[in-house]
Amino acid sequence: MIVRQLIEKIEGEAELDFTFNEGKIEDVRISFGFYRGMEEILVGKDARDALVITPRVCGICNHAHLIAAVRAIENGYENAGLKVELSNKARDIREFTLACELMQNHMTWFYMTIVPQLEKLIGEASGENHALKASYFSSTITKAMSIFAGQWPHSSYAVPGGVTCDPTYVDVMQAENLVDECIQFFEQMVAGIPMEKYLEIDSNSFLYDIDGDLGRVLQLMGMNAMADMGQSHDRFIVFGDTILSKPGKSIGTTVSGVDVRYVEESIQSGTVAKAVNYKQKLYEAGPFARAMVAKEPMVKRLHKQYKDSILTRVFARVHEVALLLKHSKVLLQDLRLDESSCTLSGDLQVEDFEGVGVVEAARGSLIHKTTVEEGLIKNYEIIVPTQWNLSHGNDRERGIAIEAMVGSTTTEEASFIFRTFDVCSVCTTQ
Amino acid sequence: MKSQKRLKLLWLQSITCNGNTHSFLNHPDLPSILSYFELVYHPVLETAFDIEAVATGELECDILILEGSFREEGFTRGRVEVSHLVETYAKKAKYIISAGTCATFGGIFKAYDPEYISGLCFDAEKRTERYEMYAPKLISLPGCPIHPRWLSYILMMLVKEKPIPIDEFHRPQELYGITVHTGCTRNEYFEWKVDSKGFGLKEGCLFYEQGCQGPFTRGSCNKILWNDTSSKTIVGTPCFGCTEPSFPKTALFSTKTNMGIPATMPLGVPRRAYLTATGIAKSFRIKRFEERIITYDR
Repeated sequence: MIVRQLIEKIEGEAELDFTFNEGKIEDVRISFGFYRGMEEILVGKDARDALVITPRVCGICNHAHLIAAVRAIENGYENAGLKVELSNKARDIREFTLACELMQNHMTWFYMTIVPQLEKLIGEASGENHALKASYFSSTITKAMSIFAGQWPHSSYAVPGGVTCDPTYVDVMQAENLVDECIQFFEQMVAGIPMEKYLEIDSNSFLYDIDGDLGRVLQLMGMNAMADMGQSHDRFIVFGDTILSKPGKSIGTTVSGVDVRYVEESIQSGTVAKAVNYKQKLYEAGPFARAMVAKEPMVKRLHKQYKDSILTRVFARVHEVALLLKHSKVLLQDLRLDESSCTLSGDLQVEDFEGVGVVEAARGSLIHKTTVEEGLIKNYEIIVPTQWNLSHGNDRERGIAIEAMVGSTTTEEASFIFRTFDVCSVCTTQ
Repeated sequence: MKSQKRLKLLWLQSITCNGNTHSFLNHPDLPSILSYFELVYHPVLETAFDIEAVATGELECDILILEGSFREEGFTRGRVEVSHLVETYAKKAKYIISAGTCATFGGIFKAYDPEYISGLCFDAEKRTERYEMYAPKLISLPGCPIHPRWLSYILMMLVKEKPIPIDEFHRPQELYGITVHTGCTRNEYFEWKVDSKGFGLKEGCLFYEQGCQGPFTRGSCNKILWNDTSSKTIVGTPCFGCTEPSFPKTALFSTKTNMGIPATMPLGVPRRAYLTATGIAKSFRIKRFEERIITYDR
């Protein structure tokens, strides 16, 4: 029996066709409807127009697209023999604004998707306005970001050689104050304990005991036999180099290196979303992957007990907010404003090049590849994180999210598992 | 205060990146604004009805917000053509708001299939077939993305039944009557024709070399700041003209020039007037504008 369900409010829509056998889901087909042709739109444009156009792939992870696009140009310059050296200041400001977007995305997903959907699934409404919390966190952290980036969404402030902004110490102090506000929010609303205490947690049982919305979500999942639910292939991949993690893949207890050259894209029938694999194998991407590759202790401990279940996956995403808040403070405190914001002059430096830009976006590794001839884009390829998690799979194994949903007994439960991947429909249908 | 019946708001998405949705969610006063409306449907927020209920065409609607580029055929929501949903709800609505540049003029996504993709009532500068039908109800709020406060101000103006004078593209004059240049912190450099020496500097104007379109782009980005904090041009990014029907142009990080003079003049300024003023301003060398505003001891 096949049951078709429309999933909405995932940055767009997807159709899921669940195949049931003896009351359990045996297979799922995921399809996305409309291709917007971003890669084609870019062809023939000035190389740097990608910095304006690619953020418009996605209204929620636009900043990650900007960073991937600027890195693709810088990598292209380097491949053509021009050394590009960013100042520490420019590098750290980019790290900070990217971290702000990750945090914004994670908290929006947690409060606008996970908490309400979990409440709906288990029939236990808190009566609280979770959207209000999401909105507060989101508007605060994006304020901090726009001190440097000018705005969110759709900033184009990262340019080859650095950033367009030239902040003052008063600007930086304001950003620090806003990060402090977000830390307070995390302490009061999410974790229910001071940040230092939270980061020192060294047992799963203590984690269950915390208050706040994170504690409540973990407890609800535990009490409703959901802690082990939604396990997949237990393989993780990270291509971007970030303040929290280095590139690598995690299989079982082993972490090893990766090379972006082995990433392979393929067309899938019945959907406009392309599949992606690494050396013929499927991997989960995202904050969970970053934590596994970086061997983040709190996530590793939960993983030891619950493997790659929804509980570990949800926790990893929220936990990354705490780690990013802490690192953001350090980035801002250490900024040296007498350094140069941009080390290259305003013109396009090289007319012919090929470059690859990799970034860890909220949902995982995002890859941009640009080929430029006579200053114009000849070819542009974008591989988005959701492709990693939602590929259908191949002859040998099912896709990551599909494997996670298989075995579920209801479409409601399976849809919730689907949403733990923080699906982004617009990116997938770029 | 809120005694009158709350207006029913239905937010529908067409071909979009969701940027307008997320921009609006960043509004610091979101809860108090939304308290004036009954949210029939929204693409992200929890609402009374889901997209399949919207697709029946049977819900009520006072304000229809459309986000995203429009095509008559080939784009569905809730398994129904968006053009059909627009038609159904536009008829019921008292007001139609095209939220963002895609819904207004076609925007970024128009380029993929320019013959079939446009805004709802404008195809770049041209009026579409639907224009006549919707014109009496239409308010255009272009911007890529929409500015959250601009949308909230217009929504509240509708609640309070205030007059909203509009321009030829149905953009409210209060928001689009001025240019992005108005209020830019780099204005002194524009007055004295001092260009920025590159990206990453707080000094200098970006109009001469870096491609800034602020002086000929309508919008109040530098009067009503982004994220209540800043703007592109304040930090040092050129304005890309995202509120205009021509968005996106090409070569966005460099100024097109004729004989060394920007090819596009500040809005409404005759070339001769600009050249005269520039000639005078440039004949003076003012030391302050050649120095850094802040110097740090190394």
